[in-house]
Amino acid sequence: MKLPGKLALCLAVLLTAPALGASDTVLTLTGAIPNDEVSLTREDLLDMPQQKMVTATTVTDGRSTFEGFLIRDLLEAHEAGGDIVIARALNDYKIEIPISDFERFDVIGALFMDGEPLSPRDKGPIWIVYPRDDHPELQDIRYDTRWVWQLVSLHVQ
Amino acid sequence: MTSGTLAGQRPGLAQYALFLPVLVVFLGSLAFALAKSSALERDMRIAATQNMLWVVSQTQMEAHALGLAVAQQDRDNSHIERRFDLTISRLHLLGRGPQARYLEQIGHLQTVNDMAEALLELDPQIHGHDEGQHQALLDLTEALHPQINRIANDVMIEDWDRAAARLDAYRNTQRLVIFAVMAAFLAALAISWLLLRKQRQLHLADVQNLHAAKLLEQERDVALMYRDFAAIVSHQLRTPLSLIDSALHRLERKGNSVTADDVIERRAVVSDAIGRLTRLSDTVLLLARLDNEQLQADFAALDIRQVVDSAIAEAQGRHPNRKLQVSCADGLLKAKGDLHLVSHIIDNLLSNALKFSNGDRPVELRVFQQGNRVACAVTDQGDGIDACDQPHLFDRYFRGKTHKEGAGLGLALAQALAEFQGGQISFETWPGKGSVFTLWLPVA
Repeated sequence: MKLPGKLALCLAVLLTAPALGASDTVLTLTGAIPNDEVSLTREDLLDMPQQKMVTATTVTDGRSTFEGFLIRDLLEAHEAGGDIVIARALNDYKIEIPISDFERFDVIGALFMDGEPLSPRDKGPIWIVYPRDDHPELQDIRYDTRWVWQLVSLHVQ
Repeated sequence: MTSGTLAGQRPGLAQYALFLPVLVVFLGSLAFALAKSSALERDMRIAATQNMLWVVSQTQMEAHALGLAVAQQDRDNSHIERRFDLTISRLHLLGRGPQARYLEQIGHLQTVNDMAEALLELDPQIHGHDEGQHQALLDLTEALHPQINRIANDVMIEDWDRAAARLDAYRNTQRLVIFAVMAAFLAALAISWLLLRKQRQLHLADVQNLHAAKLLEQERDVALMYRDFAAIVSHQLRTPLSLIDSALHRLERKGNSVTADDVIERRAVVSDAIGRLTRLSDTVLLLARLDNEQLQADFAALDIRQVVDSAIAEAQGRHPNRKLQVSCADGLLKAKGDLHLVSHIIDNLLSNALKFSNGDRPVELRVFQQGNRVACAVTDQGDGIDACDQPHLFDRYFRGKTHKEGAGLGLALAQALAEFQGGQISFETWPGKGSVFTLWLPVA
């Protein structure tokens, strides 16, 4: 019991090795918001109400537990207007997501997967996760492209 | 007949059993086609999601970017660290889940894991940043390029192989689905045919039942008719017989005091009664033959005037005190018919006219031609016929309200005989003044 626990801890340290300081910006919110640009730290995101979700994904095996903030809550907290959000990832991957997605489904910005913090060496620090298993219509390739991992910015439009 | 129809309906249940296999073929084929198409759709969805080549190219690009970052003159360590993280994250993506299984199949999983391990040994967050470290990272990324390139190459070949196999599978599935739908269609046709046949059989059974019921009713009618017939005829036989009987009794009672006048008087009564009996038996015989379709006629071109004259003579013989008039159109009038039957009809019409009019009133018989028909019209000056009696005049056993005598067979037989010879009897009547009965026969 102890050994696997230690191994897991080591692995976690390994994966989160580049542990960002609590004051480092992990997500930037820009566009149609009153403050033009908001920089959010991991702490800011952890301060928001956290939501748990269990779902399968197209790039992992089995069902995993994800934990994070509702994108809907984030947009509301910063009084975002507009109809779409342009999500951008660390590698400059870009995709437009209709804001209606966040209203219809409990889409989260996951910070944890199966209890472990998501690392930039994996799909972290933030992974947009849809409740795929709860809504059959989400099991569609058009939604799969909206699961942005290594999310770094959201531009509201 | 009826029991046969009932027995014919009972194996119906067995015939419904035919539907079961057909229904199974129909529903089974449809279910099979649906399942196959659903599987096809799912397969296409999974195939579309697995985009290995893209993931490999992303890894290639990140490794390349890391190499560039460490090779730069004015190195930005945080930039190097970010590129390092991204490269590691792509290698991790390749080394886990469905991607790992894919690589294992083409023998590259170990390569990817080795690459990740080698890269992590140079982790700048553990070993820091210095010239040697950066040179080692540059060397490693350059060493990774050909390996990743090899993986990309093999992934592409595998993808194409899989795409080809998938297309084959789609084609086979499509063919199976087409067959299944055709089988379902044929089964549906078979079901429709079976249903139609069943319905037609039921309809046929209905018709047979109806026919049987009708036959039964006819049988009943015939039985009833013969009962009435027997009752009426025996009654009609009794009347002249009792007349003959009483005439003989009177002669007997007088014994030796019988005069010649007595004998003549009784003889007339007896001969009249015998005449009535003869005519009745004649009528009954004719009717029986007609009903049994055994009436044989000798159709000939009859000189209708001759027939009428002899009928008048006979009637005059029976009723010496009545006035009988005949008027006949000029020239020869020939009608087609059987001499005996036509005589019987005219005799019947004359007897009725004499019976239903007073003794002092004449009975008139006119013969004429109208179109292609020859008419013998018998006119009496009796009371005419009640309106309520008129529709039943030619019905068997029908006797008028005022005139209860007779068997009610005469006119019915006369009409039947007229029709048998292609003719007809019509009548006109004027209450209180008299009636005209006309026999129409085709011109010969």
